[in-house]
Amino acid sequence: MNRNRTGWHKVINGVNISGLFVVLFIVLPLYWLIITSFRNPSNLGSVQYWPNPWSGDNYAQAFKEYDFGSYFIHSVIVTLSATALVLIFGTMAGYALGRLPMRGKFTLMVTLLMISLFPEIAVIAPLYTLEKDLGWLDSYQGLIIPYTAFFLPFAIWILRNYMLGIPKEMEETSRIDGAGPIRTVWSIILPMALPGVFTAAIFTFTACWTEFLMALTFDINLKMIPVGIATFGTPNEVPFGTIFAASVVAVFPIGILVFIFRKFVISGLTSGAVKG
Amino acid sequence: MTTTSGTAEQVRATTPLVGRPDVNRKRMARLGWTFSAPALIVVAAVTIFPIVYSVILSLNNVTDTGNGVQLHGFTGNNYSVVFQNSTWHYALGFTIIYTFITVAVELVIGTLIALVLQRLTAGRGWMMALLLLPWSMITVINAELWLYIYNGVYGVADAILGAVGLGTPNILGTNTPAIIALMIADIWKTTPFVAIIVLAGLVMLPGDIYEAAEVDGSSGWSTFWRITVPLLRPTLSLAVLFRVLQAFGLFDLPYVMTNGGPGTATTSLAILGYKALFQNLDFGTGSAVATTTALLVLLGCLVSLRAFKVQVGKEGT
Repeated sequence: MNRNRTGWHKVINGVNISGLFVVLFIVLPLYWLIITSFRNPSNLGSVQYWPNPWSGDNYAQAFKEYDFGSYFIHSVIVTLSATALVLIFGTMAGYALGRLPMRGKFTLMVTLLMISLFPEIAVIAPLYTLEKDLGWLDSYQGLIIPYTAFFLPFAIWILRNYMLGIPKEMEETSRIDGAGPIRTVWSIILPMALPGVFTAAIFTFTACWTEFLMALTFDINLKMIPVGIATFGTPNEVPFGTIFAASVVAVFPIGILVFIFRKFVISGLTSGAVKG
Repeated sequence: MTTTSGTAEQVRATTPLVGRPDVNRKRMARLGWTFSAPALIVVAAVTIFPIVYSVILSLNNVTDTGNGVQLHGFTGNNYSVVFQNSTWHYALGFTIIYTFITVAVELVIGTLIALVLQRLTAGRGWMMALLLLPWSMITVINAELWLYIYNGVYGVADAILGAVGLGTPNILGTNTPAIIALMIADIWKTTPFVAIIVLAGLVMLPGDIYEAAEVDGSSGWSTFWRITVPLLRPTLSLAVLFRVLQAFGLFDLPYVMTNGGPGTATTSLAILGYKALFQNLDFGTGSAVATTTALLVLLGCLVSLRAFKVQVGKEGT
């Protein structure tokens, strides 16, 4: 590593070539997704490495023939509502677990961490019967509430870690100034924990946006994006062009979000809080 | 290590500024429970209560009347049906082997990627952003994409295999190729996550150890095995633990790509449970499958309890 690299060695060396392989490993499948979405839907039955001719028909079909527009709106409503609830409850609990002297909070954190890793299949059947009794199947709240509960433990985890890092003097000063606990949290702690809130928001948003099993079970007629995409076409004919056009539209918001806020995402992934 | 009493002492040491410390402490604790209550109630209602109810369902004669399920008394029958069912045996074996192989491959490739990224002189930020794309991908879309790539008539996988003289197998229609195809799709999506975790661990390693190793004439290979790997072990084991528990719930990929087929070749425990519950409407057996899966995950959690505790305690105090 200390050897002086000169000339072409600077550009063409083992590290850079391996880096190129990493890029190809990630990019090639994505490339395939995007170019297929721009191919003419009538001649998808052959291998083409470049769209010829380019066509936007798949995109038109996704919104006209299939109801992708409404799936998108459903997903936006459920995802934003669940994320908001998770942030409100999660910030309060994260503050308490990170900074207040509660007995047994260590056990509570371990339990929450385990719950966040539990397989959804374990709760699907009873939740389904419960939602059926409540008349919540195919409703927004039928997904918003389970999502809130399922993604809260991880958000609490992230928020608690950020809360731990805020100096104690901050809230003491505020308390001496006579501020109540709610005001202290709102005007002192929250602004300082904002990066944590942000990180938790991105993680929760991504989790809700991509969730499949519960959306499939509870809301088969009020389709979220993943369910909509999985049920495009008929058993005999899968319209891949349309599916990929819808996919590009569906992945775009998350891709942009994650790209712009990559620092937050990486800090969330690596603050000891690990989840794929 | 961290204990709650450590926290308590700290609070006591720093709070006498206002009021009497122990009164204050009690008030603060009550405030803590009040603040946590909404979150804890929601989580318990939607996760812990259903898990308990699922156990009850699995221990009862259950009929689905169309207007909801009816329980007809205690039975161990659901479990004996499940334990004697050859598909369940297969699904259990498949899920374990699938989890083991994908996580092992992810770990190796993820570590390699992290080592490459660590040495990159430029563009590391861009590479990290790139790695986040598969991670944030909707799994269903990932499944559809690979379904298209593996298509027997116009899939690019067969075109490539044919070009290098390996013939054009019916990838998703044959048992072993279908399993490998699923694994590749999974590995593509989750390896970047492992790479990010490992890279974060690598960056935090103390540099002077490496200088010392170089002075001692240690080769790159032995430095890696004797210094990097042992120092990375906490990071690696945690990534592995979380990935294992997650892979065990495998559902989205086989549901979209193979529907558990061909035959039952890619039937994971979650697929089996889902089919019993919502295709055969057999809530007793379905709950038994779901409960045994949950118990296995719980067992995995308890075995690794130490890792969890270390994780919680690490930033405690």
